Amino acid sequence: MDKKKNLPIFLLISVFIIATCGLIYELVAGALASYLLGDSVKQFSFIIGTYLFAMGVGSFFAKFIVKNLLDRFIDIELLIGIIGGTSSVILFLLFQQVEHFQLILYLFVFLTGCLSGMEIPLLMNILKDRVNFRDLVSNVFTFDYIGALIASVLFPILLIPKLGVMGTSLFFGIINVTVGIFLSFYLSKQLKNPIILKIKSLVCFIILIGLFFYSNELLKYSENQLYSTNVIYKHSTPYQRIVLTEAKGEYQLFLNNNLQFNTKDEYRYHETLVHPAMSIAKSPKKVLVLGGGDGLAVREILKYSSVEKVVLVDLDEGMTKLFQTNELLRKHNANALNNARVEVINMDAFLWVKEAKDKFDVMIIDFPDPSNYSLGKLYTNNFYKSLYPLMEPQCIVSVQTTSPYFAPKSYWCIYETIASVFPNNLAYHTYVPSFGEWGFNLFSPDMRVNFNRVNQRVPNLKYYNYNLQKMTDFPADMKAVDVEINRLDNQILVRYFDEEWSKI
Amino acid sequence: MNTIFLKLTGTNHILGHKLRFPDFPNISEILEVPVLIIGGGIAGLTAGYTLNKRGGKDFFLVELDAETGGNAKSGENKYSKYPLGAHYLPLPNASNVELIDFLFDVGVVIGRDDNGNPIFDEEQLSFAPQERLFIKNYWQEGIVPQYGSSDADQQELTRFLHKMEEFKALKDQNGHYIFNIPMCYSSPEKFDLGLDQITMEEWLRKEGYTSSYLHEYLNYCCRDDYGTGIKYTAAFAVIHYFAARKHDFKKYEDAVLTWQEGNGRLAKLLAESFENQILKQHMVYKITVNESNVEVLLFDAQRKVSKKIIAEKVINCCPQYVNKYLLPQRVKNFQLLQYAPWIVATVVLHKFPFADGANLAWENIIFGAKGLGYVYAQHQSLGQFKSPFVISYYHSLDGTDLNEQRRKLYNQTDEQWKEFIIKDLSIAHFGIEDEIISIEIFRHGHGMVSPIPGYLSSEYRKQLTLPIANKIFFAHSDLSGISIFEEAFYQGREAVYDMLDNWEA
Repeated sequence: MDKKKNLPIFLLISVFIIATCGLIYELVAGALASYLLGDSVKQFSFIIGTYLFAMGVGSFFAKFIVKNLLDRFIDIELLIGIIGGTSSVILFLLFQQVEHFQLILYLFVFLTGCLSGMEIPLLMNILKDRVNFRDLVSNVFTFDYIGALIASVLFPILLIPKLGVMGTSLFFGIINVTVGIFLSFYLSKQLKNPIILKIKSLVCFIILIGLFFYSNELLKYSENQLYSTNVIYKHSTPYQRIVLTEAKGEYQLFLNNNLQFNTKDEYRYHETLVHPAMSIAKSPKKVLVLGGGDGLAVREILKYSSVEKVVLVDLDEGMTKLFQTNELLRKHNANALNNARVEVINMDAFLWVKEAKDKFDVMIIDFPDPSNYSLGKLYTNNFYKSLYPLMEPQCIVSVQTTSPYFAPKSYWCIYETIASVFPNNLAYHTYVPSFGEWGFNLFSPDMRVNFNRVNQRVPNLKYYNYNLQKMTDFPADMKAVDVEINRLDNQILVRYFDEEWSKI
Repeated sequence: MNTIFLKLTGTNHILGHKLRFPDFPNISEILEVPVLIIGGGIAGLTAGYTLNKRGGKDFFLVELDAETGGNAKSGENKYSKYPLGAHYLPLPNASNVELIDFLFDVGVVIGRDDNGNPIFDEEQLSFAPQERLFIKNYWQEGIVPQYGSSDADQQELTRFLHKMEEFKALKDQNGHYIFNIPMCYSSPEKFDLGLDQITMEEWLRKEGYTSSYLHEYLNYCCRDDYGTGIKYTAAFAVIHYFAARKHDFKKYEDAVLTWQEGNGRLAKLLAESFENQILKQHMVYKITVNESNVEVLLFDAQRKVSKKIIAEKVINCCPQYVNKYLLPQRVKNFQLLQYAPWIVATVVLHKFPFADGANLAWENIIFGAKGLGYVYAQHQSLGQFKSPFVISYYHSLDGTDLNEQRRKLYNQTDEQWKEFIIKDLSIAHFGIEDEIISIEIFRHGHGMVSPIPGYLSSEYRKQLTLPIANKIFFAHSDLSGISIFEEAFYQGREAVYDMLDNWEA
């Protein structure tokens, strides 16, 4: 075959591939932005605008490339492959740590757009002397738009479900680089520096292939399936697996595959957990939060101006760090964990309680459900006894105590366990759509404390209206009798819990 | 390939074996003290604790090893404390008042209920889940084999446990239990049933127990408590294991007292009040009884000098395999006094490979394995379980010739022990080798006395307990014949009372 003659055809195929890839990167950036930052209409619109504008900038600068056009064209292929291909991986990784995430996102979009914008003018310059100009313009744009169509159809139907965002961008990065490899070998004789280009393109290829397999590790396809939403962050700490997902502009946090909150209705849960205790206490100054590394309970506590100090003890530094640094999550907890009144301690709560010397007016206990023997210890009579030395005489404590509807025996087991240590306690519950009926417990070492007496209120709560009595009625399907007390040496609660939740 | 850090440790047998060919430097120091306690195991520490509490008599305690504790020694790494020997104390019988009082003094018992029964500190009771057993490729809860067993096996097990309940309640006409702890509290007629004259295996055959499940289960219990299996252990001792604990405090069910460092905690509590009266790495090599005192010659292994201690009275808390060198005039009967060698391996691992069934428990036993399973030390922590995990793997080397087993214990290299342990653990945890960070193999040359037929009821054993010239008093669990904390505690305490009561005589 005559290479010279075939050159236009190969380059036009390249145009087709380039166009497909270019649009894919644009869609990937749009999808990422709307997962990670929410508000998909705004994000998509901004991304498309930025991308097209960047293409214009790229086209403008293309005219300054005058020498070794074919070499440069392959260079640009490789650059797009690498930058576009790795963009989603890098953005995912940076999302957890970087403060100005948006800036970096748009920088990536701009760079990819710019490089894509250079491709077509450069290609037309390469071909202008070998092909009739009228055919050239027409063919280039035809292939360009066909590529765009195919990309935009495949993206939502095939690529995202099968490969995920990361897989898709890496896959097309690989295709981009493959074009580079093909051209650098096929057109070897027409290139100025064929050897260097060949090496560069192979290196790029290896990097992307490597990342492609790593991305499987990073964001397993199966996990996307499991959560049936977009996984936008996941991280394994020594204690748990943290997964943040997005669906319809709302965010869900999973710890070890258990839903911790959904931004859509978490206020119901956190207001009900925090405000009864805070409003019954008389101008509480010092508040202890055990668990609750998401800072959402702290957000509610800080609404009370009497509060001088909040101590939050959460085992997992990975969790509190995430909610202290991540822009999106900080927005949700109103930056509570960086508040000057808040001290964050990363320690095992039981071990901390045993050694702490401070005393508190209010305690908010927000541990994960007692789904294993490790967590079960945090619901034993011994644990509640250990809190006593840390209590001011009229201390009010509230505890999340799993669902009285799904797990009535577990719920009332915790109630009885608390009552065996602190007889002045109160069971209450409310409805949180993401969780269903959810239960809590209030208790105080002072027998005279009346849980229906409100001592202070804060305005503008979305859900809790300081009428606690309304939440203390339990219909028959949320009751259980003959439950044992949960002790370290029987851990009966874990058995109840296991038995009840396995039915669901 | 995963590199596993290996370490071979153990009681100081090299120093101990110098007793066989004594060649020590001349005496360079002479000390005088009213009472000298020899041996820092539980019996010796209890003697010191009791003497200190009673007051009035100054004393030293000398110990051959670098640490006291004997078979209740413990270790610590950066993740956890862990036992190197005995790892729990069952709740004492209500009649064992002295032990309950001690537990009260050291904060294990925190009060008494309306009936006067002790209230035990929950944090020192074994946490749930206590036990699991790997059987037929499945972890079942509890250690009595059930999973996958036939009805016939279950019937035999039930019949056996029923029989043990009968033994548990059995009393003589004076109202003394036949089986009790400490042994001295039980009926003087306890050996009349002839149970000490036959092995457990013989007794099972005689009573028509044939289930291999039951045999394997009892063999496990027997090795776990005495080092030797049902083939070599007296039926009396094995039945004692089931029938002597009365579970008097019903609300605690089957709970036992335990700590991350096992009985190392009790050893520490005993030693706490007289720590500065303990001389470690001091090996006694000769005891001479004089008209008015006792001369004890010792070798200070740290400074490499010999010393002489002149004491009015000596409480000898050494095991009898040591005493035969210190008191050459003692009657010897090697046939009756047997000690099984043990290893306790501390295995640190990233995580457990997946296995089907019950969750990780405190005691984890593998049915039909060579070893005796493992204890998860951090189970007794109030904190959340986390990697790395520290487990203690137990193995007693039993056989007809325990001396040969002892040679095997010391001849095997660390690599050979590693392979042995990994192979045994792999039965339940396939692929565990890749998760292991380190293994420390602690060797007990003489782990505990093995009550072989005839020893408990022998005249020989009784003779060994008798004081010499009202100057040397003996205390060690091997004199009871059953190596458990309660016996050692009883022995140590009794020796002190015996000595003080006869001080003027």
